[in-house]
Amino acid sequence: MHIPDGLMDPMVAGLGWVEFAAVAAVAIYLSGKKVRDKDLPRIAVLCAGIFVAQMLNFPVGGGTTGHLIGGALLAIMVGPVVAIVGMTVILLIQALMFGDGGLTAFGLNAVNMAVIAPLMGWGVYSMLKPLLSRGEAPSGKAFTPGEAFAIGAGAWASVFVAACACAAELAVSHAISDGAYGIAATVSVPAMLGYHAVIGIGEAIITVGVAAYVLTVSPGMFEAGAARPRASPGLRGVLSSRVAQATVAIIIAFALALPLYFIYSSEGADGLEKTMEDAAVSEGEPLLTSPFSYGETYFAALFAGMLGFVAVALAGLGLMKALRAGKTAE
Amino acid sequence: MIVAHVRGHHTRPEEIDEHARASWLGGLDARAKIAGTVAFVVATALLTRTELVLASLMLSVSFAAVSRVPYRHLMRMYLGALPFILIASVSVFMFAGFWRGMDMWARTSSCVIALLVLASGTETFELFSGLRGLKVPRLVSTLLTLTYRYILILGDELGRMRTARRARGFRGGRSLLDSRGLRVISSTAGMVFVRAAGRAENGYEALRARGFRSDMRPMRTSRLKAADLAFMAWFACVSSLLVALQLGAVP
Repeated sequence: MHIPDGLMDPMVAGLGWVEFAAVAAVAIYLSGKKVRDKDLPRIAVLCAGIFVAQMLNFPVGGGTTGHLIGGALLAIMVGPVVAIVGMTVILLIQALMFGDGGLTAFGLNAVNMAVIAPLMGWGVYSMLKPLLSRGEAPSGKAFTPGEAFAIGAGAWASVFVAACACAAELAVSHAISDGAYGIAATVSVPAMLGYHAVIGIGEAIITVGVAAYVLTVSPGMFEAGAARPRASPGLRGVLSSRVAQATVAIIIAFALALPLYFIYSSEGADGLEKTMEDAAVSEGEPLLTSPFSYGETYFAALFAGMLGFVAVALAGLGLMKALRAGKTAE
Repeated sequence: MIVAHVRGHHTRPEEIDEHARASWLGGLDARAKIAGTVAFVVATALLTRTELVLASLMLSVSFAAVSRVPYRHLMRMYLGALPFILIASVSVFMFAGFWRGMDMWARTSSCVIALLVLASGTETFELFSGLRGLKVPRLVSTLLTLTYRYILILGDELGRMRTARRARGFRGGRSLLDSRGLRVISSTAGMVFVRAAGRAENGYEALRARGFRSDMRPMRTSRLKAADLAFMAWFACVSSLLVALQLGAVP
C-alpha cells in the first residue's frame, strides 16, 4: 500500500500532507503529554516489533502472500494517539532508508497507514468489545470469543478502510489529472478493495493470534488491559468514555476522506447522473423532500456525515441491546 | 552478525554506513542533503512532459553515478522498491498508453533513485540528526533513532526464528485456511513482541546510564560549509529549472 513519489497528482499529494500535518501535530502534542521518558524505549521497541512483523509474510492462497500492516495491533497495544506517532516513525524509516513510499506521497501514505489504520482499528475494537465481550475468558484462553472477534474486526477494518482511502486517492488523482497521474477507478477500486478484503482476513487472524500470545505471556504490554480512569459526571464523563472516544476516532478517519470527495465531485457528474444525461432522462418531482442535505461545503458535509454515522451507530447499538435483552429474557 | 531483512531487502547495516563513508556525500551536512534531495523529488513529482521526466531520470542516474555509492548496492535497493513502481506503471500503461506508462515509470524511478542515493550516502544516525536539525519534533526524532536500533536487533532475532522454524519443517503455510500455519506465524510475531518488551527494560536502564533524559541529541553539531551550500544551490537550480520548463515559464 506504499505509494511511491510521482504516482499521485500534486494536489492530492499536497492534500495528504496538509491532513497528515494537522493530525500529526495533535497526536505529537497529546503523546508528548502522555508519554514519560521511561515509556520511550518500550514504544520504540513495539514500533520495531511492528516493522519486523511486517516482514513476516502469511499465505493468502494461490501462491500469493500478504503481510501485516500492524496499525490496529499497535493502537490496541499503546492507544491510538501514540500509535499514530509510532506508525509515522515506521513509515519514515521505510521511506528514507529503503525507498518504500515516497517523500511527496508521504503525507498520503501516513494518512492511510499511520492515521486511518490505527484509528479505525482501535475505534472498531473499542466499540465492539463492550458489546460482545462479557464475563471472564475461558480457562486457558487469553480472552473471550467476543473480544477476539472485536480485535479481528478492528484489524480487518483498519486494512480495508486504509485500502479504500488509497484506492480513492489513486482514482481521484487519475480523474483530475486527465490520466497523467494515479490509476483509473475501474482498476484501482476493485483491485485494492478485492485484494485487501482478503489480506484483511489474514491481518485479522494474525492480529488475534499475536494479541492472544502477548496477552498470555506478557499482559502488561496491552494499554487496553490497563486500569481505566474512573467515570466522571457530565460532558467530561462522556468524553472519557471509551465508546465516545472510539466514535471520534472513526469519525476522524472518515473526515479525512471527505476533501477527496470534494475534489472528485467538483470534476464531473456521478455515474447515475451521467447515465441519465446520456439517455436524456431528467429528474422528476421528488415524493419526499428530506430536511437534511449533504451540504455544499466540507464542513456541511462533515456535519451531515457525523449525523449519519451517529444515527447508524445508535441504531446498531439499540438493535444489539434489544437482541441481548431478548436473549436474557429467554 | 546483525542482518536486517527488510521487505525483500537483505542488507547488513554496517554495509549501509560503509557506503556512506566511501562516498563524498558522506562528508556533506545531512541537512543540506535532505533539503536538496527533497527539492529535487518535489520538482520531479510535478513533471508530466515526457522529455522533462526523462531528463529528471537522467539527472537522478547521474547523481547516483557520481555519488560513488556502489551501483550493485543501489540496484539491489531499487529492486526492493520496484514492485510498487511497476504496479503503478503497468496499470497506467494498460489504460492510458505506452508514453503515459513510461512517464510514470521514469518519474517514480527518478524519485526513488534520488532517495536511495541520499539514504546510502548518509550514515543512518547522521540522517536522523539531520531531520532533527530540520526541526522534526523531538518525540519523532528520538523514536526514529531508538526504533532503528531495535529493528536491527529484532530483525536478527526474526531471522534466527525463521531458521529454527525451517529446521523443524515449517514451510510458511498454504493459504488463509491453513490454521496451523497461521498459528505458527502468529506465535512467531508474538514472540518478537515479547522478546522486544524484555529488551526495552534493559534498553532504558542502559540509556539512563549514558545520561539519557527524554532526548537523543546528536553527538556532533556542525555549521553548513561552502560544499553544503553548493550542493543545495545545485539542486535548487536544477529543480527550479525543471519546474519552470514544465510550467512553460522558460521557452
